[in-house]
Amino acid sequence: MTIPPESELNDSTGCEEYRALSRRQFVGGAGTAFAAAAVYPAWLPKVVLASTYVSTRDVMVSVFQRGGADGMSVCVPFGDPNYYTLRPTIAVPRPDATTTATRGIALDNFFAFPQAMAGLVPAYLNADLLVMHAVGQTNNSRSHFDAQRYMEVGKPADPSLVTGWLGRHLASAPPVNATAPLRAIGISAGLQKTLVGAPKALPISNPASFSIGGSTTTQAARTAAIQADYTAADEPLRSSALDAVNTLNLLKSVNFSGYVPANGAVYPNSSFGNALKAVAVLIKADIGLEAAQVDVGGWDTHSAQDPIAGSMAVTMRDFSNALGAFHADVIAPALIGVTLISMSEFGRNAKENGSAGTDHGRANAMLAIGKGIAGGRVVTNGWPGLATANLENGQDLKVTLDYRDVLAEIVQKRLGNTNLGYIFPTWTPTFRGVTR
Amino acid sequence: MDTSGNGASRRGFLLGALAGLAAAPRAANAQAVGIWHPPPPKKLPPPRASVPRDPNGVSPAPQFPSRLVNESVAALPAWVNNNARLVRRITMGVSATEMMRVSVLGYQEYLSKQLHPSTIDDSALDAVVAARWPLLSATNDVLFTSNSSTVQTQLQEATLYRAAFSERQLFERMVEFWSDHFNISIGKVGYLKVADDRDVIRANALGRFRDLLQATAKSPAMLAYLDQTQSKKGAPNQNYARELMELHTLGVDNGYTQTDVAELSRLLTGWTTTGTGTFMFNNTLHDTAQKTIMGQNFPADTFGGQAEGERFIDYLAAHPNTATFISTKLLRWLLQAEPTTAQITAVSRVFRATQGDIKLVVRAILNESWLAAAPAKFKRPFHFMVSALRATSAQVVSATTLNGQLGGIGQPLFVYETPDGYPDKVEYWSGNILPRWNFAVSLTNSNSTTTVKVDTAPYLTGTADAAVDRIINEFYGGEVSLALRTSLLTYMKGGTFNDLRVRETMSLALSAQAFQWY
Repeated sequence: MTIPPESELNDSTGCEEYRALSRRQFVGGAGTAFAAAAVYPAWLPKVVLASTYVSTRDVMVSVFQRGGADGMSVCVPFGDPNYYTLRPTIAVPRPDATTTATRGIALDNFFAFPQAMAGLVPAYLNADLLVMHAVGQTNNSRSHFDAQRYMEVGKPADPSLVTGWLGRHLASAPPVNATAPLRAIGISAGLQKTLVGAPKALPISNPASFSIGGSTTTQAARTAAIQADYTAADEPLRSSALDAVNTLNLLKSVNFSGYVPANGAVYPNSSFGNALKAVAVLIKADIGLEAAQVDVGGWDTHSAQDPIAGSMAVTMRDFSNALGAFHADVIAPALIGVTLISMSEFGRNAKENGSAGTDHGRANAMLAIGKGIAGGRVVTNGWPGLATANLENGQDLKVTLDYRDVLAEIVQKRLGNTNLGYIFPTWTPTFRGVTR
Repeated sequence: MDTSGNGASRRGFLLGALAGLAAAPRAANAQAVGIWHPPPPKKLPPPRASVPRDPNGVSPAPQFPSRLVNESVAALPAWVNNNARLVRRITMGVSATEMMRVSVLGYQEYLSKQLHPSTIDDSALDAVVAARWPLLSATNDVLFTSNSSTVQTQLQEATLYRAAFSERQLFERMVEFWSDHFNISIGKVGYLKVADDRDVIRANALGRFRDLLQATAKSPAMLAYLDQTQSKKGAPNQNYARELMELHTLGVDNGYTQTDVAELSRLLTGWTTTGTGTFMFNNTLHDTAQKTIMGQNFPADTFGGQAEGERFIDYLAAHPNTATFISTKLLRWLLQAEPTTAQITAVSRVFRATQGDIKLVVRAILNESWLAAAPAKFKRPFHFMVSALRATSAQVVSATTLNGQLGGIGQPLFVYETPDGYPDKVEYWSGNILPRWNFAVSLTNSNSTTTVKVDTAPYLTGTADAAVDRIINEFYGGEVSLALRTSLLTYMKGGTFNDLRVRETMSLALSAQAFQWY
């Protein structure tokens, strides 16, 4: 696959002036841009960030949309007439359609969000959200299993590589805070592949309740007994046990329940909303956390996906409201550098199937949010087009932009790590102007 | 920490133990090295029917005095009883019952019995499994139409339950070993793993390696997992061919070349499955042209594709590099992380001489003098959980919660993605220790007659001291360091002696570093 260099990377369509205008013109009224100086909330633990936060590296929040999100419903190519031909029952109406409740929200004159993605419109308006389309991996597996794995590992079709790209980033970067017991967190019962290989990375399903369980009265005494026991253990058990105790004490010092998000942001009370909220708390607590991996499911829409009122609308509404809250709460105030990316293992067939759903496909839409992200745009590396002749195997949106180009640019420019050959083995990335 | 650091840590530990000794007036001889011996069990269970010794068995090794503890196990200085060592190694966790059995039967007899699982009555367990997880005995046609997540959890829960409560403990340890050696992720193959677990792994876990290997090569789950089902003449997929040599038999780069991988992938074209998952050889997909693999010539054929594949798999099973590779891996599993050259040589010889008779290889590995000197191994999360269930004599009415918790402590069953299976290295697992402590709390607080119940009544009939003694017997086979005993006693007596105090002390006993080893 040949991908032209950065200079040729174009917005979906339209001239420069048009694009400059478009952000506000197209989505005006759908949301309100943030005031430049957000008031930071007073909340209990260690509110020290603005003054002591010395890292020039962004905190990386990586979101994985598990199940193969239908990128053409997340970011609708209404400007491609074949979209409506291929999806007679599940298409999102054009932004100029008459029914306001169901029509798309134009992001420019080619792409639109469905109404269910409205939660991210303010971030887009604020030029903090970049949508990339026709993105994906070279590995063309249609298996969730293989596609997720290779995407998280950061190298296609190598069954021997088990560490994740974000894990290798952390393994090849000195800690921001040398004494931090927890550099990375996976909001999960088991560490996600993306983070495997990271030093001081723990899977924690719910940081707010991360503790030694049982009676709170005896918690301290039991923890002390365990800690004493492990000081006699051999390495590497001794260190990891002591890190765990330190993480316990650390998270105990963080006031999760009293947390008030900035800008009046409201996280959905869903597993994804609560996960992002917990990550927000940890980032603001300035505990030396450098990366978080958060998963969101519900994307495997083989039937009745209906992005306007059906199952996919529910999934997208939760997704966009949670990301929107995170943007308002953490990113918009710009007190801490944070970059968030969201991706999925593959997109779905261009043509809808017989069950008003879509089956496993190829290219997808990918999101990046951050003050260091050149947002407020939908970009492609050339829209491949939905005419049958332009589809991969006659059925799928072609991948014209390798997701590793996006990640590599963020790793180098926002996370300050130049070891790209180690993090993305065998891949020579081309920077695409994803970052500012 | 480097080796010298380990030494320092050990010395520190021993000093700590000796310091504890000074405050312990009941110290006897054994305690001079920081060991506390519990009173002997009062009542022995009736011995089970005796099993004849394996007629082809390797002669028992000469016994070394059991007090000669190898330096490298000094972090766990209390472990000196060879019978207890054997129980720790070949079961999924010690219990007072198991300790009594080995003390009745003796090392060799206990091992022989465990090596012959068909002579151990497990009907009670089988009945529970059949009643609770009926899909395990279902045919592929039924499984094909079953809910995939139900199939997966039935297999996971039943495996957990069997590991904890089967009397055939060594068999379960071997099932675990082969499930990793011939790893298949259920995430990729779905219900096909059920038949693989039942008809391939369990059917051959203590049989002959050759039979096991041939069975895996015809396992629809394996063929799907390693993309063999996508391989065909003109477009061979090398995934299975490569792992067959690299992971299943010879070991990486150990006697084959990339050309051999390519040739083997051609040889195996046509090895595939039917739609719902039955092995079939499909000659129309088979590349009939001549092949040469590792010097073995396979002339152009017309209908011999299955037979020539079987022939080459037999060749791999009998290859000396396979004997060495499998023997080494089994030594690592059952004896120690770094087996010696002499051990590898000796066990490989048994492997070759017996045509890969797994029973006899295992018996050779569990040579008493070797085991007496073997350093402790770190429990993987599954082993940790199951040993905790056994230690606490947990009554498991539903394994659903436990199965979810197994994911939380890091080792959900049958979902490891890569074909190398879950690692067996302390470095891989030691980073995720806190979830174990929390599992210990959760388990010991379980008191439900519909899910999991840990009964504390037997611990509450006597004194706090007696309760700690009972914990040490049940959880550790009677062997703990003086420091740990002191710690448990201190905690038990640190509050009112009641149900909660007992449960909390139990959780500390399961959380202790010594419980993470076997």
